[in-house]
Amino acid sequence: MSKITLGNESLVGSLTPSNKKSYKLTNKIQEGKTPLYSVAFNFIDARYFTCFVSAGGNGINLYNCLEDGSISLLYAFADEDKEEEFNTASWACGVEGNPFVVAGGEKGIIRVIDVNNEKIHKSLVGHGDLVNEIRTQPLKPQLVLSASKDESVRLWNVETGICILIFAGTGGHRNEVISVDFHPSDKHRFVSCGMDTTIKIWSMKEFWTYVEKSFTWKDDPSKFPTKFVELPVFTASVHTDFVDCNRWVGDFILSKSDEILLWEPILKENSPGEGTSDVLLRYPIPNCNLWFIKFSCDLSLNYLSIGNEEGKIYVWDLKSCPPVLVTVLSHNQSKSVIRQTAMSTDGNTILAASEDGTIWRWDAINKEQAVTVEAQPPPILHQYRRREGKSQLK
Amino acid sequence: MVTETDDSDSSGRIRIEDVVDDDIDDDAGESLVEGLDEKLNHLKRKIQGERVRSIQERFEVNKKKVDVHVTTPFSSNGGDDSDVFCTRMGKPLCKLTGFPHGVAERDYVPTKDVLSGSVRLPSAERIPPYTTWIFLDRHEFHSDVLNQNQRMVEDQSVVGRRQIYYDQHGGETLICSDSEEEPEPEEEKREYSEGEDCIIWLIGQEYGMGEEVQDALSQFLILDASEILERYNELKLKNQQNVEAFSDSGFKLGISLDKGLSAALDSFDNLFCRRCLVFDCRLHGCSQPLISASEKQPYWSDYEGDRNPCSKHCYLQAVREVPGGSSSFASKTEEKASEEGCSKADSFDNPHDPAGGVNLPVEKTNTGSNNLDSSSGIEQDNKTREKREATRLEDSSDLPNLSNKKQKTAVLDTKMPLVNTISRLEGDQGGKSETSEVNRDSGASLKELAEYIPDKTVHDGGSSSFKPEHGSGKGTMVIAEMSETSQPSTEWKPIEKDLYLKGVEMFGRNSCLIARNLLSGLKTCLDVSSYMRENEVSVIRRSSTPNLLLDEGRTDPGNEDDEVPPRTRLFRRKGKARKLKYSTKSAGHPSVWKRIAGGKNQSCKQYTPCGCLSMCGKDCPCLTNETCCEKYCGYADKFNVKWKQFSILYKFNPAVVFNTGARKVVKTVSEDVIVQRVNAEAGSVRALLLVENVIQMFAEIAGLGLARFISCGDGSLGEAPRRGEGQCGNMRLLLRQQQRILLGKSDVAGWGAFLKNSVSKNEYLGEYTGELISHREADKRGKIYDRANSSFLFDLNDQFVLDAQRKGDKLKFANHSAKPNCYAKVMFVAGDHRVGIFANERIEASEELFYDYRYGPDQAPAWARKPEGSSKKDDSSITHRRARKHQSH
Repeated sequence: MSKITLGNESLVGSLTPSNKKSYKLTNKIQEGKTPLYSVAFNFIDARYFTCFVSAGGNGINLYNCLEDGSISLLYAFADEDKEEEFNTASWACGVEGNPFVVAGGEKGIIRVIDVNNEKIHKSLVGHGDLVNEIRTQPLKPQLVLSASKDESVRLWNVETGICILIFAGTGGHRNEVISVDFHPSDKHRFVSCGMDTTIKIWSMKEFWTYVEKSFTWKDDPSKFPTKFVELPVFTASVHTDFVDCNRWVGDFILSKSDEILLWEPILKENSPGEGTSDVLLRYPIPNCNLWFIKFSCDLSLNYLSIGNEEGKIYVWDLKSCPPVLVTVLSHNQSKSVIRQTAMSTDGNTILAASEDGTIWRWDAINKEQAVTVEAQPPPILHQYRRREGKSQLK
Repeated sequence: MVTETDDSDSSGRIRIEDVVDDDIDDDAGESLVEGLDEKLNHLKRKIQGERVRSIQERFEVNKKKVDVHVTTPFSSNGGDDSDVFCTRMGKPLCKLTGFPHGVAERDYVPTKDVLSGSVRLPSAERIPPYTTWIFLDRHEFHSDVLNQNQRMVEDQSVVGRRQIYYDQHGGETLICSDSEEEPEPEEEKREYSEGEDCIIWLIGQEYGMGEEVQDALSQFLILDASEILERYNELKLKNQQNVEAFSDSGFKLGISLDKGLSAALDSFDNLFCRRCLVFDCRLHGCSQPLISASEKQPYWSDYEGDRNPCSKHCYLQAVREVPGGSSSFASKTEEKASEEGCSKADSFDNPHDPAGGVNLPVEKTNTGSNNLDSSSGIEQDNKTREKREATRLEDSSDLPNLSNKKQKTAVLDTKMPLVNTISRLEGDQGGKSETSEVNRDSGASLKELAEYIPDKTVHDGGSSSFKPEHGSGKGTMVIAEMSETSQPSTEWKPIEKDLYLKGVEMFGRNSCLIARNLLSGLKTCLDVSSYMRENEVSVIRRSSTPNLLLDEGRTDPGNEDDEVPPRTRLFRRKGKARKLKYSTKSAGHPSVWKRIAGGKNQSCKQYTPCGCLSMCGKDCPCLTNETCCEKYCGYADKFNVKWKQFSILYKFNPAVVFNTGARKVVKTVSEDVIVQRVNAEAGSVRALLLVENVIQMFAEIAGLGLARFISCGDGSLGEAPRRGEGQCGNMRLLLRQQQRILLGKSDVAGWGAFLKNSVSKNEYLGEYTGELISHREADKRGKIYDRANSSFLFDLNDQFVLDAQRKGDKLKFANHSAKPNCYAKVMFVAGDHRVGIFANERIEASEELFYDYRYGPDQAPAWARKPEGSSKKDDSSITHRRARKHQSH
């Protein structure tokens, strides 16, 4: 944990909403009674940008958001094994562009669903424990990363069902990995975080030949020479608690523990593994102390939305510095924990997957006439007292 | 010091001059502290203002990147197949109408239920849980015991960190923080931000570092006053250095000349494992203690007279001009040299008096080469060496001005065959074979030289004092030139001094060699020789105690401000760690650890090579520690490893005295041949690597032999599984002759280990490998593992515990059984404790393996035991927050 000292402070967002943009509740649907842990818009194929997938219990549902606030159900899948509880689902696609949905959960088996044919394309076996998150490489949507409780992150080729790389070992995570995210432009790089409170940046550059090999592999996937990547490029300790969500924003990283931080990893060019992290901005989220509450951003990274324990949704402006809270979405019937939000690619629709099994849809109003931003409050610098002794550490 | 900055924006920034002026004018020194406060606040505002600006700037830069990223095209080609999806979008399963106009916060929202899954996904069979682990065929030292110099592995220790373990079933959280037991680990070095530095520096410059100022600063920055003073002094030093560095546009050699040689050699001294003979050893870690050498390799000796001037800057050029001088000292040196040869032989004899009365006379002059010849791997090297030698001998006989040169060289060559090999390797590698030629030719100790021609060496750069008597004018010119060129380099930088000292160590007082090999481009031979003369006294003193040279070479005058070498730091740390009072804890073994099947409660002692001189006495640490001396003991360090010709080793009668109380092994490998010391030759790391391979081979061969006799001779480590012709377990461990183990679903629980082929009783199955962690670390990890109900900890010895959780072998999956078919045994193999798994009975192919984990009698699961009062309370107060995934339980 890097200490915050003079000249090292970060800018903290104020919790007074600017109301630059506002949203209205346009729909609420109930998917059984099992908690929903994941909801995600398609961001791979522009034709399907209005479609989203939800995962919870043993069910995976695909929906389409219509203009008028309606939601249409496209597909509904259910695992025959009632013990399965999906934690995460992500869109991907085959080499021919056919849509896949990749989901994983309690059993640790990653299911690749060929949506058009309504069947399992592959079941990826390998993780030693449950899967917490799956993310798709936007530049090469056949590649997915999975973060697991078995302390590893694995890179898979969903087309061929091959486990290409395993990121674990000497420099790996020391507890559950909860979140991963591909770098938006550097296809070799990704970031992972987890219960060991660290955030790690990994590179697969040296192993890229294996990634290419995985596309042409004709043999049994289990015979593929899967490689271990043991040393990350960089390990940051900017949080003191579980880190349960992280995303790249340019070359900065947004990571969430009990608050969301935007920080810059400063790597030393010549000595891999070394570097410093500089926390620039802080986005406080009230009542967000449970773990496994994940935020989401729109495709242009203009906004970030995150739910909390009380069923409220905080929308932050990612393009302003110091941080500006856009709005807080709340409804008196929304009382359960919102585990995951999903922002549509244009940022005009926010979906919230709640633990009571409901999905809430919020649509932006007054899209054109943005309210003039009120005079921005002066930046508040966040300062910590120097801690004395370990015991006072939060 | 105050720089005027661009005031274009930023309200928070204030020009310092104004402030300073105000303060001084108004308060006129009477109320220093008050003015100080104000200034501090100004500074703070300024720094914070700058910080805000810097954040904003960086944010903007990054924002542009974001925009670029966003515009990257996304694939939306879509094959024919994807039309299916489009069709479905047109004809969904059902439509859930929304409220296009929105719903107010208080309004009732009707819930629309969604049909449950219409498409069934066939169930997939799950695999037993495990934590991702890495295959390890050898124990690996866990990095918490390594110091910062270990660059390979990042510190992954749980000690000193708060570990939060999430218990899924209870929704409960366990926090293993360090706050409870142990004393605070060493305070990490505080990192100062630029802002703090700036304040400390500016204020210090302005007001001095009086107590008042210190107090004010300490309040302001929430720091100890002493820390501030310390930091201020550091900054001061840094600034000075910066200035110096600026003015000194020195020679660049890849390493800073201002650093001492020891800094440059740091990686060699610290990262090189003297037991495994590799860099970055993952078993023993870095910064192993340097055991002082019991003997010193004699200097290269040759005599002066035959030497050709190494260059036009050679001091010999000058010396030769003096008639008679060279010849007289040449003959004298020859005498000396032969004397030295004798003493060398004597010193060779020393290791031949080991305890235990083993005395194997070995033909000294030949053993080295025999040794080499018998090793197939380096045969080639050897041949080329011989060839070269022959040619070179011819060459040298052609050289003028040589009397008994040839004979002399021959003697030398047989005396130190490996020395030459090494230097040759070095030469070959570096592509400058002339180096080795010179090496061979030279080596005369310049002590003699100094005695005989005290007045004739070039001194004080004065060419006038050096009138050639029958030389040509050329000589004068050369000298004049020399004194000119040597003028700018008369300053000796620390590294040059260190290099010089190393040179003396390697080549004796041969300025030609030193200048050419170590100080090439930095100093001329002439410089070296005059420096040598200046430092004559100290050098002689030093060279008579060569060990000091290595470790205390840095005490060379003008070099005192060097940092303490890192290894000292490690020692300190280690020493401290040992004092920690967790012995009571580990005696109770709170966690469920696997233990030695021998059932002995007292664990083995970790072996650390002792530093005894040629013979171990009563004070030998190995003796007091009740470990055996190993080949790594004593002068084993710095490559002065004396190896027996391995044929001898094999014939070697294990005349080893194993007293139960004081097990003491004779230094088996001590009697014999030299595999040369290559210690710390700055430029010759490449050569070293080559030599390393050679030595590795020896090490392995010797290691095998050694292991063989230890295991067979030592009854105290359990009955050696001797089968027929003395095939013992250690051999198999070393050779990794293990059975094929299969990993599969256990019939009992989780994963299990299965045997591929059937084995008979006492057969060696494989090794239980893992990370080597300290007991303290194991205590921490044990707590976490017990929670997860799976522990791969294995008590190894008094210092270490094996943890196979993340790194290990398939054998870690063998389950516990009260009626096991295997047993585990801690074995002492080549100085390391290792765990072998052996068959307890005949085991058929594809049978599952079990062994008795030997849980201690008091090993109730950790969570059943009462927590230790206050500490637990402490923890629960921190537990609160993000511990739970679910809200209510």
